[in-house]
Formats: sequence, structure tokens, C-alpha cells
Amino acid sequence: MSRRGGAVAWVFAAPALLVYVVFLVYPAVSSLWFSFTDWDGLSPTYHVVGLQNYTSMPSDPVVVQAAVNNLIWAVVTVVVPVVLGLALAVALNGKVRGKPLLRLVFYTPAVLPLVSVASIWGWLYNPQYGAINAFLRAVGLDSLAQPWLGQDSTALAATMVAAIWLRVGFPMLLYLAALQGIPQDLYEAATVDGATRWQRFWHITMPSLKAAHYVVIALSVIDSFKVFDLIYAMTYGGPGTATQVMGTWMYFNVFQYNQAGYGTAIAVVITLVAIVVSVPYVRSQTKEQTT
Amino acid sequence: MTIAPAAPATTVPETAVEVNRRPRGGIGATVLMTLAALVWISPLMLLVITALRPLADFVSHGPLSWPHSLTMHNFTQAWDIGNFATTYRNSTIVLVLKVPLGVFLSAMLAYALAKLRIRCGAAIMYTVFLGLTIPIYITIVPVFVMARSAGITDSLIGLIGPYLAFGIPFEVLVLQSFIRQIPDEIVEAARIDGAGAWRIFLTIILPLAAPALVTVLILDAVATWNEFLFALILLNSDAHKTIPVGLLNFQGQFSNNSTGLAAGILIAVVPILIAYTFLQRWIVGGLTAGAAKG
Repeated sequence: MSRRGGAVAWVFAAPALLVYVVFLVYPAVSSLWFSFTDWDGLSPTYHVVGLQNYTSMPSDPVVVQAAVNNLIWAVVTVVVPVVLGLALAVALNGKVRGKPLLRLVFYTPAVLPLVSVASIWGWLYNPQYGAINAFLRAVGLDSLAQPWLGQDSTALAATMVAAIWLRVGFPMLLYLAALQGIPQDLYEAATVDGATRWQRFWHITMPSLKAAHYVVIALSVIDSFKVFDLIYAMTYGGPGTATQVMGTWMYFNVFQYNQAGYGTAIAVVITLVAIVVSVPYVRSQTKEQTT
Repeated sequence: MTIAPAAPATTVPETAVEVNRRPRGGIGATVLMTLAALVWISPLMLLVITALRPLADFVSHGPLSWPHSLTMHNFTQAWDIGNFATTYRNSTIVLVLKVPLGVFLSAMLAYALAKLRIRCGAAIMYTVFLGLTIPIYITIVPVFVMARSAGITDSLIGLIGPYLAFGIPFEVLVLQSFIRQIPDEIVEAARIDGAGAWRIFLTIILPLAAPALVTVLILDAVATWNEFLFALILLNSDAHKTIPVGLLNFQGQFSNNSTGLAAGILIAVVPILIAYTFLQRWIVGGLTAGAAKG
């Protein structure tokens, strides 16, 4: 069936494409334009300042801090959930009772609004009434009780714990689906040959999950660049600027400091990084769909 | 890279069945996994217990104590002060206006990409998939400017366009890969019988794609219900806030009332938790199918 749809196909495609272009593509490109201006976000006029917003970024200590935080965030909230998710998936794929319920539990945090996750963890971390400090005091570790979100040394790590809590479920589900596709006879043959459980994992499970690793890691990395809600609702970038990431610092510049031009430049930088990192994934997926 | 089971109609149930089919047993692993699950769910369990106890009981006995008495007072207090009647209504309005429309438009595009051999199909798909990687905040300044010049800031209507646009990539991704697997012979037979593209879409494609449509509807509803950033920048007045933004305000007001805060958080998440518990097989199937095949 080589006949092309022609006009009819475009009638079906047009409405969604129109919405997509007007509310996503155009704003994204338009942000690129604003990033070359000194617009404050309110005035009717502005000047084109070329690359000034970009060249002044390295001397903004908060941008540097936000970029470092984004990097730490990307590494920790990708690696830990992926490793834990894989471990849970392998365990759930083995001889365990109550699998549907266990799977339900580990994925539950992922369906909650991020603001509510932030509220829950802010509540657990509360220095005075929080359950975490109460637990530490109860087991005699009073000296470890501290204002987790209120001090530079622990605030970022504390937000990442919340992120790990909510992000373990997704890799677990994908790995579980992939594990169920590995033929059982591979394991049976290896067992007959005397392979240990560990050898079976490294020589059968891991190679068979190659495709799953790729998808899980690509999607987790893409997701990590989008971090905004959790930080905003949990620490508001603070204390001071200790937990600022590019997304929140962009927001503060635009909506608090009236520096829309500079703010969009920050967003452009992180978006370009996200796109560059994810292009191989997008390309491979498109190719797979169309061939 | 097809990780999930490939047959379209069975993708979702098969995952669930597979889990049950494996041999049972493994006491050690079961105990270990149960403990891990208890740790994982403990913040939510603690939230429920705290929300049900009087504030005085919480303050005098500490957050980890067993409640001496139970009360619903926290919920009524949080419901009123948190303005939840309004935020619930607003979130529901957005959900009803946005989700069915978004899924329908995405299904149309998916049909064009999968079955109508649209010109530049690969380029369109590439552009749409790239949307999955775009952080929302790159668009907020222009979206805010557009809403202001259209006079729809602080209006729920202003959310619909951006919400539709950011939902389209994932919806199209899942739907087109599903529709692609519908045999061409069925479509061709209908065409020979004289059915037009619309008729084929409405009477053949949509019914056959029902499992994928349900999955996408649910996932899109969850994402819409939870969306925060656009709602934060576009809505100002309390009368127009959605649940995530309302919860944020509430959190600020109740920072010294732990039991009331717990009740408010629960009020905000209970519909999602209930929906997830009953619809989880669709969510799980959709996530694995979307990620693995698209």
C-alpha cells in the first residue's frame, strides 16, 4: 500500500500539529529570541544585547552553583533509582510472594503530584516535629538530628532522597517487563552447566537487558534535566541558593528579579544540553517506528 | 527494542498474568522485599496516622507514637482553610476540558502517521518526539506573554493550550505505535467497501486502539492533575488555582500544624491514589509499552 494519504492525512495531522507548534515549538524558539535581549518581562520595549546574557553567566555564582547542582542531581537521581529499580525488578522476577502488591507499593510515589511529594518530605524533615529526627532521637542518635532542609550541607542531598523515593518505580517497571521477556531455558541451561546465581545475572540477565538499560537511562537522564517542581516546593532554592538548579534559577530571574532575557538564556542552555543528550535516543526511536 | 509483549491487544493483561505465573515461594526474598516495601510506603502510612490524630496528641507524644485517640477534625479544618472545594473543582474542569480533547487530537495525528502515509512522516515524528525532551520552563516566558496578550492569564482556559501541547508527544508516541500494528488489510477492506478516512478512523481505528486509548487517557489525566509549573505562572487568584498550586499555599500556612498539614496533603493525593490502585495495570502496561516501543 504505497499510496500516500495526501490532503486527507494532513487534515488528521493538522489540529495536533497546530497546537504543538503554537504552544510548544513557537514558545521554545521564541525563548531563544528573548535570550538575546535585555527584556525585563514587563516593559513594552527591550534591546537586543546579542550574547551578553550568555557571556555573563559564568560570572554569576548562582548559575555555576545551579549547573553543578543539576549535574549532581542528574548523576545521583539517575544512577541510584536505576540500580535500585533493577535490583527490585530482579527480586520481583524471582520467587517472591505478593508480587502485584509489592510492585504497586514501589511505583506509588511516582503517581503523586510532585508538590505533594515535596510537602510529604518537607514534613518528614521538619526539624522539630519531623519523623526523621524523631526516629534518630528514638534510636539514640540525637546528635544526628538536624534541620535537613535548612542547612547548606544537607539540603540538596535531602531533596535527592525524595527524588529517589519517587523515581525508583519507573526503572523497576521497565526492567520487570524486560526480564519477563528473557527465555527461561537460558537460565535452566546455565544452571545445568553449574553457573552460580551471580554468574547467571552477569552473563544472561545483564546482556539481555541491554535494550532496557538504554531506554531506562535515556528517559531518566531526560527527566533529570526537567527538575523544577520538587526543588521549588521543597526548598525554594534555599537555604540561600544552596539547592538552586537551572530551572528554578531561571524562574526566579524571570518572575522575581525581572530579568526575563537572562532567565530565558539560562533555560536555553539547559534545554540545549537536554536535547543534545537525548538526540541519539529520539533518533533511534524514530527510526525504529518508521522502519 | 521491543521489551514489552508485542501483541497490541494483550500488552497490558499479559504483564499482569506473567507476574502471577512464576513459581511461588522464597521465604527469605519475600521477607526482604516486604520490609523494603514497608520502608518505601512508610511516609504515606505515617501521613495517614498523623492526619487522623488530634494535634495535641501529636505534639505531646511525638510523630512516631501510636495515636491515643482518632479524629476527623484535621480533614474538615484542612478542607476549609486549604480552599480544596475550589481547587478540586478547578482541577476537575481542566481535566475534563483537556484530557479527552488531547487524546482525540493525538489519536488523529497518530492515525495520520501510522496509516495514512503522510508526507514527511519521519520528520514530523522526530519533531514530536523531541518534545518529550523539552523542559517546560523553556516555554514559560513566551506562554505567559501569549496568555497576557490574549487576556487569559489567571484563567483555566489559558492552561488548556500548553497542557495539550505538552501531552501530545507521549500520547502520539504510544498511540501511533499501537495503531501501526493494526493490520493494513482491515483498513484496506473498509476502503474498498467505500469507507472514507473519517469513517475508518472512527469506526475501525479508534475501537481497535481502545486499550491504548484507555492507557493514554489515564496517564494523561494523572499528568494533567499533577501539573504545577504552568498553573503556578498563569493562575494568580485563589478562585482559579488547581490542586498542586493550592497545596503549595496550604503547606505554607500549615507549617506549624503537622496533623492539619498531613490531612491536607492526603486530601490532595487521595483521588490519585485511589485511581492508581484501581487502574494500575493500565498505567503499568502503558508506561512499559510507551517507553519500550517508542
